[in-house]
Amino acid sequence: MSDARAVADRLIKAKRLNALLTPAKDLRKSLLAQAEAARTTGVLYGMPVAVKDNICTLEFTTTCGSKILEGYQSPYEATAITKLKAAGALIAGKTNCDEFAMGSSTEHSAYGRVIHPLDKARVPGGSSGGSAALVAAGAVPAALGSDTGGSVRQPAAFCGVVGMKPTYGRVSRYGLVAFGSSLDQIGVLGRSVHDAARVLSVISGRDARDSTCEDRDPLRLPTVPESLQGFVIGLPKEYFPAELDPAVKRACDRAIRMMKELGAAVREVSLPHTPYAVPTYYVIAPAEASSNLARYDGVRYGPRFDGHQDLHALYRTTRGQGFGPEVRRRILVGTYVLSAGYYDAYYRRAQQMRALIAQDFRNAFDRGVDLLFTPTVPAPAFKAGEKLSDPIAMYMSDIFTVTANLAGLPAMSLPIGRVKGLPIGGQLIGQAFLEDEMIEAAYALERVVPATDEA
Amino acid sequence: MSVSRDEVLRIAQLAELDVDDDALPEIAEQMSRILDYVAQLSAIPTNGTVKTFVPGPDAMRFRPDEVAPSPLMFGPAQFAPAFKEGFFVVPKLGQFE
Repeated sequence: MSDARAVADRLIKAKRLNALLTPAKDLRKSLLAQAEAARTTGVLYGMPVAVKDNICTLEFTTTCGSKILEGYQSPYEATAITKLKAAGALIAGKTNCDEFAMGSSTEHSAYGRVIHPLDKARVPGGSSGGSAALVAAGAVPAALGSDTGGSVRQPAAFCGVVGMKPTYGRVSRYGLVAFGSSLDQIGVLGRSVHDAARVLSVISGRDARDSTCEDRDPLRLPTVPESLQGFVIGLPKEYFPAELDPAVKRACDRAIRMMKELGAAVREVSLPHTPYAVPTYYVIAPAEASSNLARYDGVRYGPRFDGHQDLHALYRTTRGQGFGPEVRRRILVGTYVLSAGYYDAYYRRAQQMRALIAQDFRNAFDRGVDLLFTPTVPAPAFKAGEKLSDPIAMYMSDIFTVTANLAGLPAMSLPIGRVKGLPIGGQLIGQAFLEDEMIEAAYALERVVPATDEA
Repeated sequence: MSVSRDEVLRIAQLAELDVDDDALPEIAEQMSRILDYVAQLSAIPTNGTVKTFVPGPDAMRFRPDEVAPSPLMFGPAQFAPAFKEGFFVVPKLGQFE
């Protein structure tokens, strides 16, 4: 009980970050009730896990950072939440995010931007920026996020924490509010590789309620290895362009040197279709979003906005007033690329390019590479407002992360150094359903890399 | 390419989304830039034979066809904006043409 109070106090203390959407009173009350009911034999007994507000919970409202779901209480909870509770974890409130997970800075939330814990003028990344900020501030050891194009890994890199996106199909999407259904996965942010990995292990595994979830046992955690002997790490040359931030490059070079010292063989590889990944993503994701978000119409749930005299006016007013600018933009772009006359030129082309991008990865892995190592983001956290008026500049923040979603592969970010006090993330991309290998390498690297030293 | 004001309005109608007149020029400009940017996809030869790729299980798994209790903790009356006698209440459809 006193633990539950301490958890609530820590989260409420982090209020200045605007990372938590749950009111303090509701949080305290729920945490006390949950602590009383928690399974003492669970592997996560007593562990507080904050949850991104696009994952349905019975304890708290689920708004997706949007006005169109303001005050929405879901009548069911996500499978990931059920599994966390069965393992004894405490659901430690809902975290702020870009509206419907669309954004890379958590500035696109209807509930205000999230502050970077180390520099209030900067963004924490996004769209799981609230989850990343709370973990970085030490308010919780782990938090759930969702990753459609990098929304767990990019904020993890910006905030200096670990972020894991599992293989598509590893974790049930039941109860994760859909954005891009062929790309979305629930992921975990943690203060260490182990914290993130043990939460991921608990939420993974088959679920009859999600037909895209693979019929597999939960992820088994590897032990911490003594060395990286036997590992072949590929460095895709397209992820180390000349214009990469010099400090990011230095931090990556240092991490690569350390992996070699641990016994890994390091080899340059090529993923030639990488330059087309961002345009491919920004056709497929908005297309899927335009379809998924059609359900917010003011009829079945969420608020209904006034000014409607007939049914179509009700739809249009509710959606026009309920969605923020980035969501509106993506719905329009998605509707456009799926509309008659443009489908072949945009959507089919993007689907074909997606296949080529996935094939690039298979080719690299077929040549004996176990894992790929890349920077997570080309530069450290940017200033709030810097990219708001330029959607494409904002999209480019995802350039190294979208490929894993397009190919459905597991990937994670871990802190590998700092520049002027701001964290830098290194990314490991693994083979489908071989998260254990990726986590094993991350354990080894985490032990040696000076994550908080200047690069 | 450039997206015209009328085109934005047509797409907005398809998407059932009100767009303010004041916001139209900016939306048209941003949509044009995004579509110009993604148009680079049409420049690469995929020669039409490339199969599309979707991650996830190769085959659709079917659940046993059994009646199960509703997974909802409470019914639509508690979360719908307007619900009466088992129905969602909406305004009339408008004029039939």
